[in-house]
Amino acid sequence: MSDPMAEIKASFFIECEELLESLQDALSDLDEGADDGETINVVFRAVHSIKGGAGAFGLDALVAFAHRFETVLDELRAGRLDLTPQAVKLFFQAADLLADEIRAAREGSPEPEAAEECLQALEALLGDRGPSHTADAEDEVEAADFQPMGLALDLDFDFTPEDASPTGFTLQFRPDGALYASGNEPLQLLRALAEIAEVSIMTDAEAVPPLDALDPEENHLSWTVQITGDVTEEEIREVFEFVEDVCQIDISPILDTREMPLPELPEIDGEPSGFTEEDEKFEPEAEVNGPGSVNAAPPPTDDIAKIATEAPARTPDPSPAEQQAEAAKPSAAQPAASNTTPAAEPGATVRVDIERIDRLVNLVGELVINQAMLAQSVAEAGLPPNSAVNTGLEAFMMLTRDIQDSVMMIRAQPVKPLFQRMARIVREASSAIGKDVRLKTEGETTEVDKTVIERLADPLTHMIRNAVDHGLESPDMREAIGKPREGIVTLSAHHRSGRVVIEVSDDGGGIDRKKVFEKAIEKGFVTPDAQLSDNEIDNLLFLPGFSTADQVSALSGRGVGMDVVKSSIQSLGGRISITSEPGKGSCFSISLPLTLAVLDGMVVNVAGETLVVPLSSILETATLTSEDIRALGPSTNVIHLRGAFVPLFDLGAELGYRAPKRSYSGDVVLLTAQEDGARSALVVDSILEQRQVVIKGLQQSYGHIPGVAAATILGDGQIALILDPADLVQSASGNTRAIDLSLAG
Amino acid sequence: MTALALPDRIDLATVRPLQASLQCVATEDVALDASSVTHFGALGLQLLLSAAKTARIAGRRLEIASSSEAFDSALTRFGLSHEDLQHLPDAEAPCH
Repeated sequence: MSDPMAEIKASFFIECEELLESLQDALSDLDEGADDGETINVVFRAVHSIKGGAGAFGLDALVAFAHRFETVLDELRAGRLDLTPQAVKLFFQAADLLADEIRAAREGSPEPEAAEECLQALEALLGDRGPSHTADAEDEVEAADFQPMGLALDLDFDFTPEDASPTGFTLQFRPDGALYASGNEPLQLLRALAEIAEVSIMTDAEAVPPLDALDPEENHLSWTVQITGDVTEEEIREVFEFVEDVCQIDISPILDTREMPLPELPEIDGEPSGFTEEDEKFEPEAEVNGPGSVNAAPPPTDDIAKIATEAPARTPDPSPAEQQAEAAKPSAAQPAASNTTPAAEPGATVRVDIERIDRLVNLVGELVINQAMLAQSVAEAGLPPNSAVNTGLEAFMMLTRDIQDSVMMIRAQPVKPLFQRMARIVREASSAIGKDVRLKTEGETTEVDKTVIERLADPLTHMIRNAVDHGLESPDMREAIGKPREGIVTLSAHHRSGRVVIEVSDDGGGIDRKKVFEKAIEKGFVTPDAQLSDNEIDNLLFLPGFSTADQVSALSGRGVGMDVVKSSIQSLGGRISITSEPGKGSCFSISLPLTLAVLDGMVVNVAGETLVVPLSSILETATLTSEDIRALGPSTNVIHLRGAFVPLFDLGAELGYRAPKRSYSGDVVLLTAQEDGARSALVVDSILEQRQVVIKGLQQSYGHIPGVAAATILGDGQIALILDPADLVQSASGNTRAIDLSLAG
Repeated sequence: MTALALPDRIDLATVRPLQASLQCVATEDVALDASSVTHFGALGLQLLLSAAKTARIAGRRLEIASSSEAFDSALTRFGLSHEDLQHLPDAEAPCH
């Protein structure tokens, strides 16, 4: 049997990921100017919840860090700290380090080095109010018991009587019946209050009816609590944070303890009930106001302050049921903590080991192949199309398709976490080279296969760093040319024709084509007399060993260039393209398949070989007539299609199956489109069918083959290559573009 | 005086059956045995306060004969004492 503590701990770390995500979201909102209390609360709660969980597992370093971070956030929440851009920047930095601390705690690796420095910078924001953090952070680790409502927060702000701040609070607390129904207990809340402050508690039982009129599951009680000591209203509210929807809370400050007003309780016989700390003369008998109003009843020999400060008597160990209830609380409390973020709705979710999903995906892949084989057998058996077997098979194919889509949907994840990682890269990269950079993200909810997301992190990181380092001008330069000092890097994701397109763009100076061209000549990639189009020059950046950076900076120019980015994108079945406008910026666009497991393809025959062309890249098919075909240059043809000219490629010739034909009149062409909108016409001998194929990667065995994306197994067991038309056209001989010559070299 | 033992846990799950058992406070003097109580929640408190009120109206005696540490601790935290939960006929009306 597995260790239940280890499981709870593992789920804590998973929750941390979610909390970090909401923390990042809220910080981004703050950064964009949303300084409303709720956003600040979300930030605070995320850090607070992480601290609470960490305390339960004795993760002292994490607790200490979170505590100091939280202390500063609390000042912000209380309105004693201005939300300056500098502060937001530090909060981001601290959030990044908090993520590092969590990772360190999870992996048992050493703490991040920059933690202390960042915390000190944060605390410097507080000025003189800087807290002494060490002692109480340690205390708290001992006190924390992983009950969300009871975390003692001994934020020790200097508290001086001459401050106008209150010296105490009067709390009116009336639970709804739903508070009990949701597994909460006022006793625990009152205990939690007693842990953070001195309290004197009075039960108001005025509304409690006699037994025969009582619904015992409804609440008729309320409490008035006098709270004194170094405690803020926020801290008090925190105790009730997870029940605020199921109770009525009213907190009013008391400005001077000496003149602490009596709580407003129902008067019995004309006398106010309740008492204060000053009730030295308190007579035990006097408190029995009659059962109708049992208001105050300290032990007869003691005064209230004494009761309040003494530690609650140790209760016997909770029963297993209670322990379960305790264990269930953090997760139950979770939605409440993030109830302002609709994305974090407490929908029913299941965490599943990714290996299980992969196994399912593989099985579905096999199912698709099997179905294709079955379909082929049925076809070969020569059964009439409307036979029961064929009809059944069609229904079976539709089911298979639905299953497959559903399975793929399980693997699909929003790109948001990836984008958040990139936000951190931007922050770190920009501060390393002293540029002001803002990252704008768009389409964060776009979903992509999990594997694709994981493997995109490295190339995207590189592209983002490039954009910050090379793409954007220095702040001074930007100012000189009339741009805002702050540069903008935009990271966007969206679906386009069955693929996902991720773009990294900047509002910098664009690609300095002259410099790129000179560099390419210098490195011997092109001859000085080469005539290159702008697009071709831009694509030189993808050549191995190309770097325009004259000096190696902290970020880039280390020789790992865009060629590595390009090959990692290609290994995902993706393509990358550049657009750039001088003075306005550049945009790197990555186009990726939605999934790496299956695709819809058109099965074609070329020179006796069966090939698959991804349906997503095909715009239309056509049969050529001799009028359509126009010669261009000595060895290439274009076709005239509705007023536009499209280059013609003979797949048989390009793949080396046969020599180019003399005439293509009467042949079938597939009109394909690339990411940049360029179209090309591929000649095939015949179109066999349109079907779903399971992708079997060739990368591991053969590396990248130009023009070939992967392979598949057809229904008859035959292996067919899946083409990548855009890549094929790039390196096709029919293309006379110079870029291909240089690439070929 | 009838003795009535309180269950280990007095909370949402147990208050309704306990309410039925407590109905006798209207007709007889009852001594509650709270010595095995491990959890005494606010609904339990409310029920006992209601029983005390019922006993007072009926002129009956309700007392806590014995109590556990958990029971006393909870009661203290609610700001109450045993006296608040028992009704003594001679301390009856006029109330206070």
